[in-house]
Amino acid sequence: MITVEKLCKNFGSLSVLKNIDAEIKNGEKIVIVGPSGSGKSTFLRCLNLLDQPSAGRIMVDDVEITAEDCDINSVRQKMGMVFQHFNLFPHLTVVENIILAPYQLKKLNKDDAIKRAYELLDRVGLREKANEYPIKLSGGQKQRIAIARALAMNPEIMLFDEPTSALDPEMIGEVLDVMQELAEEGMTMVVVTHEMGFARKVASRVMFMDEGRIVEQGTPDEVFGNPKNDRTKLFLSKVLDH
Amino acid sequence: MTEPAEKHESIEEVVFAYEPSPEPFWKRHIYDFIIAAVFLVFALITAFSPQLGLDMPFFTKLRTNFINDFIVENRFMWLVSGLGTTLIITVMATTLGLTLGLTLAIIKVLDYNGKRIFFVTRLAEYYLTVIRGTPVVVQLMIIYYVIFGSISVSKILVAALAFGINSGAYVAEIIRAGILAVDRGQMEAGRSLGLTYGVTMQKIILPQAFKNVLPALFNELITLLKETAVAGYIAVADLARAGDMIRSRTFDPLLPLFAVAAVYLVMVMGLTQVMSKIERRLRRSDNR
Ligand SMILES: Nc1ncnc2c1ncn2[C@@H]1O[C@H](COP(=O)(O)OP(=O)(O)OP(=O)(O)O)[C@@H](O)[C@H]1O
Ligand SMILES: [Mg+2]
Repeated sequence: MITVEKLCKNFGSLSVLKNIDAEIKNGEKIVIVGPSGSGKSTFLRCLNLLDQPSAGRIMVDDVEITAEDCDINSVRQKMGMVFQHFNLFPHLTVVENIILAPYQLKKLNKDDAIKRAYELLDRVGLREKANEYPIKLSGGQKQRIAIARALAMNPEIMLFDEPTSALDPEMIGEVLDVMQELAEEGMTMVVVTHEMGFARKVASRVMFMDEGRIVEQGTPDEVFGNPKNDRTKLFLSKVLDH
Repeated sequence: MTEPAEKHESIEEVVFAYEPSPEPFWKRHIYDFIIAAVFLVFALITAFSPQLGLDMPFFTKLRTNFINDFIVENRFMWLVSGLGTTLIITVMATTLGLTLGLTLAIIKVLDYNGKRIFFVTRLAEYYLTVIRGTPVVVQLMIIYYVIFGSISVSKILVAALAFGINSGAYVAEIIRAGILAVDRGQMEAGRSLGLTYGVTMQKIILPQAFKNVLPALFNELITLLKETAVAGYIAVADLARAGDMIRSRTFDPLLPLFAVAAVYLVMVMGLTQVMSKIERRLRRSDNR
């Protein structure tokens, strides 16, 4: 589904991603872990070109999105993204947030878009918030709406960048539950998170990133149970102790 | 029996609660009433001093002046039509200013986002620098005497054009700041859904930007309204000019100029009132 070849990303003189090769297959659930500043977000944001790679190639379903003439907007329509800080549109109600893209991009007419929005709201358990503005929602509710908004485009893959990091502890569960359900339905997912429990339960593959490289990857059992790389061990000993 | 659960307060109720509880109307406006009463007494004495049998030279003179300034030749109509002219210029200039300002703001933001339109950006920058670096009166005279020097054209249109071009530069800065103040994540969220830059700008960024800068834009409108008073430099008979024409006809500066000042003041106070209403409503519905 996604093939990454020799991906590099520099911010000025700072080299953030160094020659990353990766392959993400249909239906895989990839969890990316690693210390702060290791380039996890940047890697994720390169996958839908929110950050423009400095070098290398990224193919999405045989479309080279790093090519000059690629129509990135149509590729992004099948790649949903969920952000740490939700980024809901504050001037629109919950329903308006969800229907904006499918309606603007003429995926659905208005009635169908609204119908679909309510289906998604049922799915994340927030039908009764349909006509509220985002300010009235808790963090966990905001993030569930953000997930619904991304799903409204019927994406083939979902990218999550620390979706629970900005949440109060008691709200993390409700968001992870929605994500787990999504995974069980077979969605291809790439998730940057510090939730090791979630990674163990849901991940088909864990990638450990450090200093702009994928240092180690494998099943959760392999990476968490029997890490081979010293940096992975050091990192895991820090996060798993808590 | 248990206490009923505490009533859940919505954000707007909380914000509202912090506004000082209003005093009764008369108490809030006590000084306004005193000043109004003094003026009224003054006016009544001026108007009816003969009937009242009062012989006070000051009031007699004021009375004569008033009649000369406003009644003779229906001179108050000069003020009325001057006011009309001022309003027409202001409305046209505001429309032009908003259009120009929005266009320039978007050009500058495009440039900032790395979507450079080389020649156009440069041009916009020169425009902003020159317009904001020179007095509006000078711009007005240059446009009238130099650019339209040999062409006969409506002075009101020229004035509207000049003030619009001038206001556009300030509006551009206001809107640009408003756009840049919108959280970066909003553009990213829009783009990540597959929306184009243009649609994201139009549907997501600009509505938020406008809401943020509405008070500043309103201020610009008030400034513009007052600034049009220099239209007299190209002999447009606007409100200020009308007052001056009466003064030069009757040689009484006091009443016509005060009358003009009063009309401007009332308009500005009205607009300010509207603005604070809008601001309050924005604050209450603030859904960030
Ligand atoms: N727009 C940018 N401009 C300059 N430097 C950036 C930019 N975005 C990220 N960086 C730098 O790139 C490095 C990697 O950032 P990135 O956000 O990818 O890390 P991360 O692994 O997601 O970390 P965290 O766990 O803190 O989110 C950091 O040193 C960061 O300061
Ligand atoms: Mg990050």
